[in-house]
Amino acid sequence: MHEMSLVQGLLAQLNELAREHGKEKVISVSMEIGPLSGVVIDSFQFGFDILAKDDALTREAKLIIESPPAIYRCFGCGREVEALQRPERCSECSETLFSPQGGDGLILRQVEME
Amino acid sequence: MCDACGCDLKPEHTHDSKVVEVHQSLLAANTAMAVKNREHIEKMGAVAINMISSPGSGKTTLLEKTIEAIGDTIRIGVIEGDIETDRDAERIRAKGVPVVQLTTGGACHLDAAQVHKGMHLLEKEEGGAELDILFIENVGNLVCPATFDLGEHHRLVLVSVPEGPDKPAKYPKAFHSSQVFIISKTDLLPYFDFPVEEAKAEALQLNPNLQVMALSATSGEGFDQWLDYLRGVCRNRQ
Repeated sequence: MHEMSLVQGLLAQLNELAREHGKEKVISVSMEIGPLSGVVIDSFQFGFDILAKDDALTREAKLIIESPPAIYRCFGCGREVEALQRPERCSECSETLFSPQGGDGLILRQVEME
Repeated sequence: MCDACGCDLKPEHTHDSKVVEVHQSLLAANTAMAVKNREHIEKMGAVAINMISSPGSGKTTLLEKTIEAIGDTIRIGVIEGDIETDRDAERIRAKGVPVVQLTTGGACHLDAAQVHKGMHLLEKEEGGAELDILFIENVGNLVCPATFDLGEHHRLVLVSVPEGPDKPAKYPKAFHSSQVFIISKTDLLPYFDFPVEEAKAEALQLNPNLQVMALSATSGEGFDQWLDYLRGVCRNRQ
């Protein structure tokens, strides 16, 4: 459950951003959490719901999470497909080995504050 | 009442809201520290290997037997990560190499900042500043440690025979972020249903670049390949 410590890091960063911009309330937080990031989105959301309530700054903040697909490159023919899960086999050459590229992002994209 | 937010101010008021574009990884601070760790290790002329596995897969035993087998030919140092106790560090210390125990006090993984601290502590141990290989034994956990770069050059994931062959499929992140997959405790193969070739094939499906080794620290089976790998790691360092 490393999601909790990641949420703690996020909240610390939100506090810094609010101080930097002279704001007192976070309205929304947009995150990208890729399917290969090793982070369970439900656990991250759960951690955020609990920990954000402890701070007046984030008490009403809405967490928006997007999970863009990874690109899987076929080891046989080099064909690339976008997918949330590793494909079983290549539709071109039936190869079962793929190397994933991207999809491992755990990125704070945007914060709306007032 | 304001339609936009439900506050009690007059409808014509404007909220002084601001959208800040950040586009930064939540792991940015950890990654920056990991980069520093890597530079620090390289300055020492050493290579760091981060060992990840479930509890009880045999990480510490593998290290004990490796130190015994390698003797003085490669200078080894160890950073031990555990939630509590310094038992693992005691086992390594008994083998006569510099070691530091990090206890996370509940956290399920090591992060780069802890390892940074550990490296400085290790340098105070006799021989801890002149290493060829720094092993970082992560907290026993196949999930969380996979997300955190510690500044290692190689990441090694271990699965022991009694755990069963389906770990790569169940814990993919540890396998696609590693360079080496070790199947340990092969001396127990006669007593468990662990098809080695199937486990290898499944791991390679997740990460075709994985180097796979099967070994037993107890019987010594497969140990030559492991020691060759470590010698290669030392030869190829920058």
